[in-house]
Amino acid sequence: MPLTGLPLAVFVFTTTPARKKVSLCARACNSPHIHRHCTASTAAIFAMAPTKEELERRRIVGVEEERVSNVTSTDFPGHYPGEDHTWNLEEFRKKLKIQIHKANDLDYEFDLIGVDASIANAFRRILISEVPTLAIETVFVHNNTSIVQDEVLAQRLGLVPLRGDKKGFQHLRWLKKNPDEPAVEATDFNTIVMGLKVACTRNHATPATETDPEKLYFNSSVYARDIKFQPQGRQSDWFSGAGEIRPVNPDILLAKMRPGQEIDIEMHCVLGIGQDHAKFSPVATASYRLLPSIKIKQPITGEDAEKFINCFPKGVAEIQTDKKTGQKKAVIVNPRKDTVSREVLRHEELKGKVELGRIRDHFIFSIESTGMYHSDELFLQAVQILKKKCVDFHEKLLES
Amino acid sequence: MQRDAYVPPTAGGGAARGGGGYGGGGGGGDIPRQVSMKYLCADCGKSVTINKGDMIRCKECGFRILYKERTKRMVQFEAR
Repeated sequence: MPLTGLPLAVFVFTTTPARKKVSLCARACNSPHIHRHCTASTAAIFAMAPTKEELERRRIVGVEEERVSNVTSTDFPGHYPGEDHTWNLEEFRKKLKIQIHKANDLDYEFDLIGVDASIANAFRRILISEVPTLAIETVFVHNNTSIVQDEVLAQRLGLVPLRGDKKGFQHLRWLKKNPDEPAVEATDFNTIVMGLKVACTRNHATPATETDPEKLYFNSSVYARDIKFQPQGRQSDWFSGAGEIRPVNPDILLAKMRPGQEIDIEMHCVLGIGQDHAKFSPVATASYRLLPSIKIKQPITGEDAEKFINCFPKGVAEIQTDKKTGQKKAVIVNPRKDTVSREVLRHEELKGKVELGRIRDHFIFSIESTGMYHSDELFLQAVQILKKKCVDFHEKLLES
Repeated sequence: MQRDAYVPPTAGGGAARGGGGYGGGGGGGDIPRQVSMKYLCADCGKSVTINKGDMIRCKECGFRILYKERTKRMVQFEAR
């Protein structure tokens, strides 16, 4: 273990009683306080590589009755004397784990284990605001005699999620990457044209007693499915057949009409990112939580066990009967299902027997796509974007 | 000061240019004016064409409130 870069203050403590003479803390935290670890002999600090228990302890964020303890991560260089925490690719490879738990078209849940919160959070933020998607940006109203005002209808149209052939999207370019930048000319490479032309008419075939507007009139409700793709130039090759650009959810109600009313609108869709407007966000939610950890420190038996398992959501804890003694004992089965409600900590009889926490580097990531991309592609896109940012940053560093 | 005369939107492609004598009431006398206009009855919803000087009244139901039609011009909005 390399010992370079250790402050000399460490050696001071070998000879002075730490409690009396106040000097800098040995952990290189530059604090004038004496921490508990400073009182231990330096020899012991050097000799001790962190034990398994210690490493496990560092991984847990404590959830106590009225506070959360051990919040920040400590695995950075210089925090523990004598330990090398410089970032190491091999080490990272060994630690990083990804387990997929749910992978539907729209829902994706996986565990991201062994990364720092900053990285997990970067992915989350990129997913929400930097993965580009297509959305309606400009609305040209030729006619709108429905009761929904033009600007309200335009705003509603903008929020309709669109989908289309994924390979086709690779041909698309930005119309305007920065809001400040002047827009380039609209071409088939950067603008998708959609049309919405509906008129409401009376259905004369219905009996006079009919009261349901859906039956009385044709087109009394305008839905997202009425938005029709109007391919321009080569777009008919890129987005054809099932790959045609269309709303993800055909049943979004856009407006209601009565006979004589009409909507005739042309829309231009462009690529954009969620940072600019939420309509461009490819996810409904992208979030993570830390895996809960529940430690039973003393066996919980008998009636207490019953009480104990009732403190958790179903499936978290269970009562097991010892085969030899026949004693009933509470065990943790699936901490993943726990909500960390801290209910256990309220009971006097369970005091000191349980320790709640969360595992600091175990992220339960959940991504919910709005439909333009499959949910599993989204995370890969986010990784790619972060990677590109890193490369750009590195280049900038080399330049300066 | 010369002010531009108000030019009402044309209705029905000049279908009824009957009352020919009423050209240019405002400033520029040489601008040809459409004298018949289409309105919508506020009661029965039918389209009503009226010429200058006509009673403001629906020809179908006799209702005296008429609505102006929405402009046929394209209006641009940002979907934000």
